[in-house]
Amino acid sequence: MMTYIVFILSVIFVVSFVGFSSKPSPIYGGLVLIVSGAVGCGIVLSFGGSFLGLMVFLIYLGGMLVVFGYTTAMATEQYPEVWVSNKAVLGAFIVGLLSELLTACYILKGDDVEVEVVLKFNGAGDWVIYDTGDSGFFSEEAMGIAALYSYGTWLVIVTGWSLLIGVLVIMEVTRGN
Amino acid sequence: MSMVYINIFLAFTLSFMGLLIYRSHLMSSLLCLEGMMLSLFIMMTVTILVNHFTLASMAPIVLLVFAACEAALGLSLLVMVSNTYGTDYVQNLNLLQC
Repeated sequence: MMTYIVFILSVIFVVSFVGFSSKPSPIYGGLVLIVSGAVGCGIVLSFGGSFLGLMVFLIYLGGMLVVFGYTTAMATEQYPEVWVSNKAVLGAFIVGLLSELLTACYILKGDDVEVEVVLKFNGAGDWVIYDTGDSGFFSEEAMGIAALYSYGTWLVIVTGWSLLIGVLVIMEVTRGN
Repeated sequence: MSMVYINIFLAFTLSFMGLLIYRSHLMSSLLCLEGMMLSLFIMMTVTILVNHFTLASMAPIVLLVFAACEAALGLSLLVMVSNTYGTDYVQNLNLLQC
């Protein structure tokens, strides 16, 4: 079962995506998005990307979703809709859940299933990373991100400038009038 | 290629559908936009980690920066709509009367 752990995590990822795409009240959608962010971090960690998993938790969940949370608390209604209180939401959730379960059962049923959409996909338990050589004592992915400041100086300048302009635009938008 | 990509692509398609088919709240569409950004981040990160594409590891971080910009802008627009109309219902956005 441990060889399929990444596939199981991706199934839980899709199920939580169905949970907020069927659009209950936004506060419950935010809760389910937090769960899907945590499961996505688990998928990244299974492939050995520890720094990028930490980025998901810190920046995405801890920064962006907290802002979404209190904005939702500001603009919410008195009786928020759960998944079972509205037939449209429940129907969308069940349809999404069924399609994902069908896909997962088809993939897990045989050992050599092959799906061809644009590319050929096969191997549900294929979670081992193809290893080309040894990478020494450092983590490749952390070194690649550290290269943002040496090879990617222009990227840093562009992203910093766009963040500054974004702040100024938001201040102008919320000034009103 | 691994079957994990099918699930992540399915997650992206589901939240894309959720963005296009809106119900009452503008906020749920913004949440679906955030879901799209999350699935793109996961797909990009998994591809980079599997193929040992070391120098491209800065691309998910840059994607996260721009997703944060766009989320903040969307939220500020939602706050202005909510200040004007009291709620963030999509049916309030009806100034264009053709």
